[in-house]
Amino acid sequence: MSVFSDIFFGGLFQGSLYAMMAVGLALVWTTIGVFNFSHGVFMMLGAYFAWQLVAFGLPVVIAFPLAVIVMAGAGWILQASVVRPLIGRPNIVLVVVITTLAAGSLIENGALTVWGPRSKQLPSLIEGNTTIAGVGVSLHQIAIIVITPLILAALWSFLNRTRLGLALRAVAQNEDASQLVGLNVTALYGLAFAIAASLAGLAGIFMGGYRFMNPSMGADPLLKALIVVVFGGISSISGPIFAAYLIGFFEAASNYYFGLYWTPALLFLVLIATLMVRPEGIFASRSRGLA
Amino acid sequence: MSESPILRIEAVTAGYGRVTVLHDITLEAGRFGNVGLFGPNGHGKTTLLRTISGLVAPKSGRVVFDGKDITGLSARAIVATGLIHVPQGNKLFPDLTIGDCMALGAYSPRARPHEAENREKVVRLFPKLAERWRQRVRTLSGGERQMVSIGTALMSHPRLLILDEPTLGLAPKIKDELCAAVMDISRGGVPLVVVEQDIEFLLELSRQLFLVDHGAVKTEIRPGESIEHSEIMAMYFGH
Repeated sequence: MSVFSDIFFGGLFQGSLYAMMAVGLALVWTTIGVFNFSHGVFMMLGAYFAWQLVAFGLPVVIAFPLAVIVMAGAGWILQASVVRPLIGRPNIVLVVVITTLAAGSLIENGALTVWGPRSKQLPSLIEGNTTIAGVGVSLHQIAIIVITPLILAALWSFLNRTRLGLALRAVAQNEDASQLVGLNVTALYGLAFAIAASLAGLAGIFMGGYRFMNPSMGADPLLKALIVVVFGGISSISGPIFAAYLIGFFEAASNYYFGLYWTPALLFLVLIATLMVRPEGIFASRSRGLA
Repeated sequence: MSESPILRIEAVTAGYGRVTVLHDITLEAGRFGNVGLFGPNGHGKTTLLRTISGLVAPKSGRVVFDGKDITGLSARAIVATGLIHVPQGNKLFPDLTIGDCMALGAYSPRARPHEAENREKVVRLFPKLAERWRQRVRTLSGGERQMVSIGTALMSHPRLLILDEPTLGLAPKIKDELCAAVMDISRGGVPLVVVEQDIEFLLELSRQLFLVDHGAVKTEIRPGESIEHSEIMAMYFGH
């Protein structure tokens, strides 16, 4: 019983973090049609901004939301500087891989210069531990497990229940037609990046609360988020969410039964097998679009 | 009858990258009511419409809508003037519902106050859409998609409607239905600029036609000038 709940909680927790990261990546892909390789750096930056604000003496309830808002601005700026100027180029997907990788590398090394290489840690969302079903879990982890679905649900209803969300979904499907109904396509691109960056920043804050932070902390989550979106299908945002939890559970189970070293290899094996059977991802429809 | 033209294209040159599609094209629309454009495929009709609606920036020349120079404005700014372009209807927003598309049509601040009234108009014009309001566009037939496309444009509260081949690839029955709807829109007081391969329909709809060939106006047919079908065919094929 305790083994099962161990895997269950571990999977739920990892899945939450992956979902938070992957959704932003999918949002940018569906709206703009590019992959943002600085997404992991956004995660790191969010954690460091939060750390800095806490170090300034702000209470956590102000510092964390403020860091998330600052990240929205950072996402907007990155989009305006290394993505927007390239829109319309025939080989935009590859070019943006390079520009976002370059920007990510600059920001990562910038963070190293500003904050130094020494590991830091953020305060937990909630201090303390508890025991559920025979497993000891921190309240911080419980908070993440609870908050993440709420945020994803909020994002879903923003996309599906508001006029602005409708505009974002429209741009994702047909840019020309969007312009012909008078949508501000560049602003919507900026918005997609801003939302993605704040979600990544929040994931960074979550992670900084239970693991040590360093400037390269975003690299592994970016890789995992890529696996999640490819696995779940890049053409929607519900696909990656399901896939994130699925992969979270898979990792937790594999860590338990096969050990930490085998997990990444097994993960890629599953990914390759999936892509051979369903190249568009397991939860995907065949077109781009937010649903 | 001879009013001032609502749309003037003055010596417009435009294209994509290094390829020039429109060569110094000039035409005036609206003095004699609706305008029809026809001509062989790949000779710049769609590019002309894309240039008018701001999707393609002209390299030179001027586009004047209702006395206002709209050359080089963004598509969004042009939508805000009430000049609405209905692209060929097969693409659209595949994963949005009909209702979503109508809401999008009324997105611009100019159209928003008229949303309810325009929605009624669309439903009256295309009762079929009302039955499928929550259905995704990708699940609709070609004719229904074209209806959604035109309906979305009507939601934008147009002062001038530009239609790009509204009956392209449709079965005869649904085509008649759409032609009737387009005639209805015209009678409702919205002037039209229509690109169409079906010359019979164009002749019924408008008394002023332009033959666009090699990125320029090759022939203009004015009201009162009778024209035989065979003559148009000859223009088409250049004999």
